[in-house]
Amino acid sequence: MTSIGTGYDLSNSVFSPDGRIFQVEYANKAVENGATSIGIKCTDGVVFAVEKIISSKLLVPKKNVKIQVIDRHIGCVYSGLIPDGRHLVNRGREESANFKKVYGQPIGIPAFADRIGQYIQAYTLYNSVRPFGVSAIFGGIDSEGPHLYMVEPNGAFWGYKGAATGKGRQSAKAELEKLFNEHPEGLTTRQALKEAARIIYVAHEDNKEKGFELELSWCSETETNSLHKFVTGDLLEEANEHAKREMNEGDDSDDEDVSSDEDNNAEQDRDGDIQLE
Amino acid sequence: MNHDPFAWGRPSDETYGQYNQAIANASNFPKMNTQQPIVTGTSVISIKYNNGTIIAADRLGAYGSLLRFTDVDRLFPVGNNTVVGISGDISDMQHIEKLLEDLETENNYDNSYADDEESLKPSYVFEYLAAVMYQRRSKMNPLWNAIVVAGVENGEPFLRYVNLLGVTYSSPTLATGFGAHMANPLLRRIVDRDSDVEKTDLQTAKNAILECMKVLYYRDARSSRKFSLAIIDKDQGLTLEKDLQVENMTWDFAKDIKGYGTQKV
Amino acid sequence: MFRNNYDGDTVTFSPTGRLFQVEYALEAIKQGSVTVGLRSKNYAVITALKRNADELSSYQKKIIRCDEHLGLSLAGLAPDARVLSNYLRQQCNYSQLVFNRKLSVEKAGHLLSDKAQQNTQSYGGRPYGVGLLIIGYDNSGAHLLEFQPSGNTLEVYGSAIGARSQGAKTYLERVMDKYIEIEDPEELIKTCVEALRQSLKDETLTTDNLSIAIVGKDIPFTQYDNEKVTPYL
Repeated sequence: MTSIGTGYDLSNSVFSPDGRIFQVEYANKAVENGATSIGIKCTDGVVFAVEKIISSKLLVPKKNVKIQVIDRHIGCVYSGLIPDGRHLVNRGREESANFKKVYGQPIGIPAFADRIGQYIQAYTLYNSVRPFGVSAIFGGIDSEGPHLYMVEPNGAFWGYKGAATGKGRQSAKAELEKLFNEHPEGLTTRQALKEAARIIYVAHEDNKEKGFELELSWCSETETNSLHKFVTGDLLEEANEHAKREMNEGDDSDDEDVSSDEDNNAEQDRDGDIQLE
Repeated sequence: MNHDPFAWGRPSDETYGQYNQAIANASNFPKMNTQQPIVTGTSVISIKYNNGTIIAADRLGAYGSLLRFTDVDRLFPVGNNTVVGISGDISDMQHIEKLLEDLETENNYDNSYADDEESLKPSYVFEYLAAVMYQRRSKMNPLWNAIVVAGVENGEPFLRYVNLLGVTYSSPTLATGFGAHMANPLLRRIVDRDSDVEKTDLQTAKNAILECMKVLYYRDARSSRKFSLAIIDKDQGLTLEKDLQVENMTWDFAKDIKGYGTQKV
Repeated sequence: MFRNNYDGDTVTFSPTGRLFQVEYALEAIKQGSVTVGLRSKNYAVITALKRNADELSSYQKKIIRCDEHLGLSLAGLAPDARVLSNYLRQQCNYSQLVFNRKLSVEKAGHLLSDKAQQNTQSYGGRPYGVGLLIIGYDNSGAHLLEFQPSGNTLEVYGSAIGARSQGAKTYLERVMDKYIEIEDPEELIKTCVEALRQSLKDETLTTDNLSIAIVGKDIPFTQYDNEKVTPYL
């Protein structure tokens, strides 16, 4: 980081001489230290999964839910500064409710992505605010079928078949690519639930010393009436079991280590990280 | 001298400051809000029984005396144990329908108990509607409706009424509009006081409601044969039938009514 | 001399993605005296150590009631806690007035989170400098939340915040399995006071400096101070 100390990285809405906005890049760092989140687009819907780090024994299991509902048909999960994510989701809810009030129908997900992107981008324009410290994966089912998007702190968003963000994104991405190579025709949400669980387990490997809890949700045309629902009970149990089984079997097979270009500043982030997550 | 005729006879700007043009341009009337309903739905009737509540309303949207819309839903389920029945202005009813949808959507936000402990209960829904109705009447801009909220709460039947004046009350039988005059006395033959609720089973209560729908169809000129009926039962949960119609009628008496159909004097 | 350029306001990320102003706000909690909270299935309890500015002054209040079913204790800047608790009181009243509904503890936590987050993303303000332990009893039972100025609010079985709170926290972790099963509210209060003791240094608990509050099944939020805490000393 040659830029540090030059002064161009102290304020939002300031370009450096080579045309970068450092504050937005730093916001990305907050995301990269966050717990892993993924999303998978399927033939009949979308699936979300997130790793919930157990930072203390005193936390109540299954509570402190991270995945959020934006509208009945849209779900969202994010990595980075969790309170920033809540801010974003609150805005998303306003956009979605406002659309419905004006047009009398649920907002289309591409149109929703557009609005969210605009909002996040606005937080990179002014020195009176800071960018969002989150990358958010969101999606669901609208009249056109399933959609999955990921939006970054600079406001850019893309549609994805499989999206991953947070600390374990590199290995999660590799797993997602592998998954879609094996299933070129796509997966059903039921299949994807198990795979999503497994990928979160794989992504957690590099961070093994901390315990974690898996959280899953989905939107499916056949299983959830196209609404965003949390995965609980037996279904969640099944996914967890599947992931654990696969992890035990997979120990000998593929060991391509993918976490190469990740800056390893675990040392520096130790105290800040746990508090802010 | 100011030669602009508009300025003649007005307080001079020098003395009184800039003349407020809005006064001269004011409307001849004060601001007017809804003062009568346009398209209307007639009675909603309801009764408590030993294991829950029943609520019914016909499917007509009348434009004055014209039976204009014949397939209007006027019973709205909210959550798993509440049904809201609305009579009065249909456009206002549709606005309330939106409010109820939003209420339900918002209850699902970040609520890990949304399906059970923290689901919407009838009393929450009612209190909200009562607050809205009272606020609107206090703004002199009422929603022109009478509303019955029916459901089951904490294992007990729930029934409560609110109207465009913001007035609320409850009773083991409730009816709005024409039904308040015609159905209530009939329903009270079955359930007159709270203590009668325990003694009344579902079938008795349902028969009473069906009988009332028939009487109302006979005597209420702004009613339709088709109606919806919802049962909220402690054990069976919520069932909503939308395609019922009044059965077993006899119109033999009609020929004796003056002005009805073809008549020889 | 080394100077940290990235800690002047809440709108500047450090090169590693940290928000120093927010982290400093978390430090403010540790300046406050300790408070401990724990819960079982049906009851939640908070205890707190009160401090006085000097011999002749009264003790700073540590526990604030928000509603029949909801209250909190604080560590850090007490005036900030008053702002937040007033906000919760408003929200409780609103919920009661409009919906005839107790504000759920979960929702209370989210409302606080969102309010605190605003102070971390725009220039001109500072984050709140106070940590809160919120206890409440609603339709889904007893709950305990830990609120932080960063906008994080976590549901926990037990927690301690404030000066030397680690002692109490360690104790709570050790005896957690036992107290979450406790049925008797009196027993739970005793455990909570015992946990508070683990964080004392020179002080001893007296009727003057100990505050207790409990809420739960058939017990509205009740606070014990002065001679009322004698049985638990």
